[in-house]
This record gives sequence, structure tokens and C-alpha cells, in this order.
Amino acid sequence: MSALLTLLVKAIVAGVMVVLFALIGEAVKPKRFAGLFAAAPAIALASLLITALTRGAPAAVPFTLGMLAGSAGMVAYCLVCLVTLDRLHALAGSLTAWVAWVLVAGGIYFAVLR
Amino acid sequence: MRSHELLRDDSQPIGIEISKLGAVAPKEHLIRFGFGAILAAAAGGIGMLFGPKAGGLFLAFPAILPASLTLIEKKEGKAEAWADASGGIIGAIGLAGFAGTAYLLLEAAGPVLALAAALAVWAGVSLAMYAAVRATRLDRMLDEHIAKE
Repeated sequence: MSALLTLLVKAIVAGVMVVLFALIGEAVKPKRFAGLFAAAPAIALASLLITALTRGAPAAVPFTLGMLAGSAGMVAYCLVCLVTLDRLHALAGSLTAWVAWVLVAGGIYFAVLR
Repeated sequence: MRSHELLRDDSQPIGIEISKLGAVAPKEHLIRFGFGAILAAAAGGIGMLFGPKAGGLFLAFPAILPASLTLIEKKEGKAEAWADASGGIIGAIGLAGFAGTAYLLLEAAGPVLALAAALAVWAGVSLAMYAAVRATRLDRMLDEHIAKE
């Protein structure tokens, strides 16, 4: 499978997975419980599976190391969101909190993984 | 933000309301699909250009959350969006469990089994942490003390 076609398949499968996890998040209650599904591994599941199936499992392993750093960034992002959402509108607050993800995930990447 | 709205929400038992799915507009599905597809393509593209570790960062990038939180605030209010983000903290810790399990098992167990185990770890860690938060009433304490009236 060509690299471009693999990317396209990854994009479509990941999009479907995101919608599926979002549907679970929409249906369950209370809202804090639904929030668990906002951080579900929808994109990772699709992306790692297709990478491993097309290029072999060893090719997918380094992606998981990056994902560990990204997960730490995601925890920081959600923590910062609690402050920014309280002070700003949801869109502005949630976009501002990306700074926390960049600092933590990027920091770990440059300090440990690169 | 109203802490009593959060308290009311957190006092509900865990459950599923299938009827709520009918209120989700097709446009919302399309937005989420688009964000998910773009992020997966971006992670793959960055992996090709800068290496797989750099690409892997974006497998845990909160790209969909701004769209989700904005939709929740619009439909259900700011307190609900805040509660969703606070649940995201727990899910994100579970996400690290997913990545760690996949790292350990991908080569040893093969992709399907390794990723099924990683998904089970994400679910197990997230559900256990959420249950612990509820059992210790940490959620109610957060509602009362952090959320400002």
C-alpha cells in the first residue's frame, strides 16, 4: 500500500473511531464520566493498528513512545482547561489550553525522546 | 459557573441515555469525523517527516476537545463543559496506560492482541480512577470548592 493511501485509510478509520467514542460520550451520564471518552484512544487505535498491519509491529512501537509524552501533555491540557474554561468561553478556553499540551508534550519529547 | 449544577450532575448514577443520541446533529458527527481524520493524517505525516516519536505525540493531541467542549457549552452549559474536561483528566491518564501497554506488547503479542489489551487497560484504568473519585467523593469536593459561583 502506498504511503499516501495508508494515510488516507488511517484518516478515514480514525474519523469513524472518533465519532464512535463521541457517541458513547454523548449517551452516558454524568458528564464527568462522559469526559473519560473525550480522552479515548480513538485516533491512536486506528493509527497504530494500520501502521502495524501495513509496516509490521516494530514500526508502530516508536509511535507509542511519542504517545506517552502526548498523554502527559493531554493530562496537563485538561487540568489547564479547568482554569481557562472557568474564565473564558469554551472555544477560547480550550484553544488557550493547547499551550499546556505543547509545553509538556514538547518538553518531554525534546528532553527525553529526541 | 454554578457549583450546584455540577453537584446535581455528579449526584446522578452512572447510566446510558440512548435517547440523547437523537439530539446529535449530523453536522456534529461530521465535525468530529473531520477533526479525527485530519489529526490521524497529521500524525502520520509528521511521523514521515520528523520521525515516528514526533508523530506519536499527536496520537494524544487534544484536537477534538475544543470542538466537543464548545458544542457541550452551547447545548448544555458551561458547567457541563467543565465537568467533561475534568473527566478528560482521568481518561488522559488511562491514555498513558494505553500507550505503555501497546509499547510493551506490540512486538511480543502482535498488533490485534496488543491493541485490544491496550484498550482494555485504558478502560480499566479510567473506570477504576473514576470509581475511586466517586467513592471518595472527590468529585463533589471539586464541585464545591473549585467551581466558582
